[in-house]
Amino acid sequence: MNALTASAAIASGRVQLANVRQIALITARMRAQWVMLVFVFLALTACVRIGQLGLFEQTPERASMAEALLPSRGEITDRQGLALARAFASYSLWFNPKALGEAGSPLVKTPEEVAQALVGIFPEADYADLLARLKAGRACYLHRRVLPEEANRVFALGEPALEFPREEQRFYPQGSLAAHVLGYVDEAGKGHVGMEQVLEGRLLDPVHRGTPTALSLDARAQGALEDELGRGMMETNAKGAAGLILDADSGEVVALASLPSFNPNRSDLAYNDLVFNRVSNQVYELGSTFKPITVASAIDAGVLTDLSTRYPSVPFNIAGYTIHDSHNFGTTLNVPEALIHSSNVVTAHVADALGPTALRQTMTALGMHERPTIELPARGFPLWPRGGGQNGSGDWQRLTNMTVSYGHGIAVTPLHLASAYAAMVNGGLWRPATLYKIDPAHLPPGRRVFKASTSARMRQLLRMIVADGTGRKANAAGFRVGGKTGSAEKPGLRGYRKTSLIATFAAAFPMDKPRYVVIVMLDEPQATQASSGQRTAAWNAAPIVGRLVPRIGPMLGVVPDAHHDVDITDLSPLVGSGEGE
Amino acid sequence: MMVSANRFRSIGWIALLLVCAALVMVLAFRVNALRSQVHRTEQQIISLRKEKLYLETEVETRANQQQLKLWNDVEFGYVAPSASQYISNERQLAAFAKPDGPGAPTPIRVASADNAVAAEVAFPAIVSRLTGDSDISAPAERESDNTASAAAAPADRAAATEALGARLAMVVPVKQAAAGKRQDKDKPALAKSGSTKGKKSGSARADKKTQLASATKAATPSNPAKSTKPAKPSKTAP
Repeated sequence: MNALTASAAIASGRVQLANVRQIALITARMRAQWVMLVFVFLALTACVRIGQLGLFEQTPERASMAEALLPSRGEITDRQGLALARAFASYSLWFNPKALGEAGSPLVKTPEEVAQALVGIFPEADYADLLARLKAGRACYLHRRVLPEEANRVFALGEPALEFPREEQRFYPQGSLAAHVLGYVDEAGKGHVGMEQVLEGRLLDPVHRGTPTALSLDARAQGALEDELGRGMMETNAKGAAGLILDADSGEVVALASLPSFNPNRSDLAYNDLVFNRVSNQVYELGSTFKPITVASAIDAGVLTDLSTRYPSVPFNIAGYTIHDSHNFGTTLNVPEALIHSSNVVTAHVADALGPTALRQTMTALGMHERPTIELPARGFPLWPRGGGQNGSGDWQRLTNMTVSYGHGIAVTPLHLASAYAAMVNGGLWRPATLYKIDPAHLPPGRRVFKASTSARMRQLLRMIVADGTGRKANAAGFRVGGKTGSAEKPGLRGYRKTSLIATFAAAFPMDKPRYVVIVMLDEPQATQASSGQRTAAWNAAPIVGRLVPRIGPMLGVVPDAHHDVDITDLSPLVGSGEGE
Repeated sequence: MMVSANRFRSIGWIALLLVCAALVMVLAFRVNALRSQVHRTEQQIISLRKEKLYLETEVETRANQQQLKLWNDVEFGYVAPSASQYISNERQLAAFAKPDGPGAPTPIRVASADNAVAAEVAFPAIVSRLTGDSDISAPAERESDNTASAAAAPADRAAATEALGARLAMVVPVKQAAAGKRQDKDKPALAKSGSTKGKKSGSARADKKTQLASATKAATPSNPAKSTKPAKPSKTAP
């Protein structure tokens, strides 16, 4: 037993030794295997990854080329494809006080020096405001929409804390051009005022925003219109001006301007009164420009068949009011003379003969009783004279009918007038004004307001007004301009104010085949040397059209021709000569 | 050890399979490489298009209607064409080419000076940078066309340029300009012209000294002609 124990003890000792060796061997092998396993695993992983990369790896943004080029907001162009509004990564001037590390001054120079230098680069910036921001030591914008050259100049200041992140913003390369049509986009990316608001959905829609939206505007005509309106406004010290060029056949708005304007590139400054659109939103009594509409209505209704018929032109009383002219034109006038001299009295007699029903019908057919038809969000509601009957929907009273006939007692927007003139000269079809480019093959059907023969007669009469009458200053050589002046006194607290006028000139050209209607309106023009000391449209609004038409005509495809004109030989003998309103 | 034909064949198949797999892999790798190249090119296109849009916008902004109008008011003064500048039909166009009828008044001739020499001085001949030769210029060709003055022009050209040069103080005669290109404005040019005339001046060394002095002068940054030479790339913002 003992021996056995001893031997066992000895044996166990040997066994233990053998075990130790074996265990060490096993451990070593195990470790080697682990290491190998790790290596194999790594190799396999690498192989799998290589295979995966080589065989299956799709480039992550494979289908994103179009996406990468997709603007954040769609582009708006004019009818020629010139960009009017574009999403554009412009530089901003960002103040990062931690650029030089946490401790110490964030600026190399003193804040006063830097602010002074920045004011030198951005003259419109406020020194005190900049200084306060630089001193506050908080990260903030110092200026937005920095031009590259301005950025270079700021960079040359050598301040690491002034950074230029590029941010996608709405940019209007043409500046304030057509600002009222385009509107602006605020800092939150929301469109306001013009087509930016109307087209909001389309401009942000990923499906559509890749393709630019073409408006009916022509940037060159728009530029010329704004330029001439601005000049006319300056020359007459007018409060404001509005202008419109409308395609007479399709109703496309080729140019639309309301002055003073605003700069949509500075959306932070755009919340002011200047965003108010005088063309589509403000209603005015447009005065004598309504006379041709009355005459057209009378011709169309068969009331006025003989243009040589003479009407009394002496002031007369009706319902306690006296209807009179600005000048005395003798005792009688015929209709062409009445238009040329702009006689209220004769127009009132014509309207009286026509009757309130027909005139009201014509005005309704021309859309004068509702907001103007255009895409813009801000559209003014006309001051439509109240008729007889219970709810005012009956015929106008005799006096109302007469005052409406020469453009008083009814207030509409210049856009209403433009559409009405287009219908009057284009053969009699009224079409809604639009800011979208229309394919000429798919014109809207339109609504017949006048007969084609009436329209032809009106073209002659309007041409006569410019050739011999109050619109002579608009007679651009070779462009066969026709039109009518209108100088309406603005209503004040006690009746009309003699010195506050709305001077309008409504024109169309070329009169032998009218292509464009031009409306120019000045708000409270003053008598200045440039307007020969006159306030009326013949002296301030008509010359604007006279200068504008030769500028835009060739661009819009109207070739001036001195040997070609609408035939007015049958009407010329009916007319004497003289001055009028 | 003998390998049976069957086994050999299967090994062959496996080898073939492996080779094919390797080839497919190589092909796939190449395809994918190409694909990523395409992707890289696309990225490049995107960045270039963005750059193009940026430049386009900049040009449009700088040439916007209001700016063009200002330029036109100040610089160009263009006005819209008037009715008389248009031709209404082919007949009117053809009327311009109508030959003079018998007894028609002779067209008015306007007296004009021969401006070949003056033009040459005003537009100096191009000087070769390598040889300093000014005869490679275009005006020489133009002269050869003019048969009447072809022979006379080169002979009295120097005299004419000097006479004109005196009158037009700003114009530097071509040959002198070429000779004194690297020299100071007045003195070395005169010295050089003296040597070209072949006069054995006693101060040839002095000439060389002035040249040397002018050369060292040219090397110093104080020389304005030298200092304006390198066109510094303008800094751009990050």
